[in-house]
Amino acid sequence: MNAATAEATQTGWIRVEDLSVRFTTRTEEVVAIDRASIDVKPGEFVTLIGPSGCGKSTLLNVVAGFLKASSGSVTVDGEAINGPSVQRGVVFQQYSLFPWLTVRQNVEFGMKMKGVGRSTREASARTLLGLAGLLAFENHYPDQLSGGMKQRVGIVRALATSPQVLLMDEPFGALDAQTRVVMQEILTNMWQKFRLSVLFITHDIDEAVFLSDRIYVMTARPGRIKAEIRIDLPRPRTAAMTSSPEFITYVQQLRQLIREESLAAMGSELHDGALAGFATDVGPGGVAGIVNA
Amino acid sequence: MLMAHRIEGLAGSEVEEAPASATPALHTAPAAPVAMMPRKPPLIAPRTLLTWLFGALSLCMLLTLWHFAVKYRVDFYIRFNNIPAPQAVLEDAIALIRNTRFQRHILLSLQRILTGFSIAALIAIPLGLLMGRNRIARELIFPALEVLRPIPAIAWVPMSIMLWPSNEVSIIFITFLGSFFPILLNTIHGVQALDKVLVRAARCLGANQLALFWHVVLPGSLPHVFTGLTIGMGVAWVSLIAAEMISGQFGIGYFTWEAYSLVRYSEIVLGMIVIGVLGLLCSGLIRLIGSWVMPWAHRAQMESD
Repeated sequence: MNAATAEATQTGWIRVEDLSVRFTTRTEEVVAIDRASIDVKPGEFVTLIGPSGCGKSTLLNVVAGFLKASSGSVTVDGEAINGPSVQRGVVFQQYSLFPWLTVRQNVEFGMKMKGVGRSTREASARTLLGLAGLLAFENHYPDQLSGGMKQRVGIVRALATSPQVLLMDEPFGALDAQTRVVMQEILTNMWQKFRLSVLFITHDIDEAVFLSDRIYVMTARPGRIKAEIRIDLPRPRTAAMTSSPEFITYVQQLRQLIREESLAAMGSELHDGALAGFATDVGPGGVAGIVNA
Repeated sequence: MLMAHRIEGLAGSEVEEAPASATPALHTAPAAPVAMMPRKPPLIAPRTLLTWLFGALSLCMLLTLWHFAVKYRVDFYIRFNNIPAPQAVLEDAIALIRNTRFQRHILLSLQRILTGFSIAALIAIPLGLLMGRNRIARELIFPALEVLRPIPAIAWVPMSIMLWPSNEVSIIFITFLGSFFPILLNTIHGVQALDKVLVRAARCLGANQLALFWHVVLPGSLPHVFTGLTIGMGVAWVSLIAAEMISGQFGIGYFTWEAYSLVRYSEIVLGMIVIGVLGLLCSGLIRLIGSWVMPWAHRAQMESD
């Protein structure tokens, strides 16, 4: 494990240059990403944030190798991406555990594909599960776990092939707010130990600030990089920091940037007057006053 | 597919009860993750007891209705004049159960079912996996099968007698045909319904095409395969009995038809009951194998399919 982490800090440099992704539907050509450039330095935690539908997941899917770039270049440690690879671990938004394997067998899957022997596999999986506080559940099937636990297993499984980079596509998006906060702490703690490069996708501003070294803000479709913000909060991050003035300043700054984009994304809706109702005076009777009038 | 849902729903409610009552003793250790376990029921849940009670009551009601309909010779468009009473059937059953000829009827039917169904499963499952996964295979084979599929297995009886060298083989062929299509279609559906994110996850974890097929596609489609097997077994029995009635010389279907020809009315009913029980045992066996092969498939998952 030590050798792997030392190596991980040297490698895992994601570079995305002038990336464009276009889809052709039956009726039109949709530009999902328009000349976006980002990079994730070795051992850095970088987040892509933006309104829904801005193409941030598309960008991650290109880096993962699920989608092809229409133009531009995407490399990891100088090598062009050609399909999915064990060098790039992926944690998905939906629960992606194999329901027919136990928790430990899920974690062992990548090692098994590599041809690692049974006993080595088992020992590594148990160590990793212990780190995520899941050792007591190693023989459970995914259906027996809560949402938060499933995602922790998902993270551990992605780490188990000792990838150079970890790609996380809104991994906590399906969790309730309380679980989400705890998961963020667990993730930042694990990252602190392994220090591998992470490209993280979210639309949650607090989550982005809490976890990241740098944040890229994406525009509404077509997705472009609108801003890049460095988060200079000390490491290791703790829950207490979220109420510090610096943290709040970052959050407000991002909120402003994203609000502009959300409004832009809602453009056509706004023309129809989504906010026009703000000025209407309803009188003292509340809803009942209107309905019974 | 509607039929599949109904069958699975019934299967699930039975399967789920057993492990729930077996676990509690094991999970009282102090640090055990109790919070995640399903709620512990008492040794025999009151609801299970009630379900059994109602079940017994329901059967009693059927027997009573039958008994009185025969006793008072109900003749109100539907005629019970020639129908044997439950007692007569029971007496017949006791007399026949040791009869080697009767046993041979049953054994031969079981043998035909087993042969026809097994051959169907051995061909339909691999073919379904291939067709679900490979577009060329699907587009090449599917049209030919779609033309044959709407023809009920029973309609094949005359053709089957011409095709195959003996009656025995043609009856097995009819049984095979009956179970083949449900198994094939459900297997194809199982492969295609597999969540794409699982395939992506496996590829990120270094699975090549062969490993993907063996470790993801196959286990992932198993719940649907077993749905197909359950339905296929049901249709196999329907086809077998019809084929035996038309062209058999032995078998429980033939026994039932022969009883009618020889005016042994209580044997007709006995034949019907035996067919029902055998069918029930066969689908029970498939469910048992299913829960053994897929220990992860709990009720929730089965119902969502």
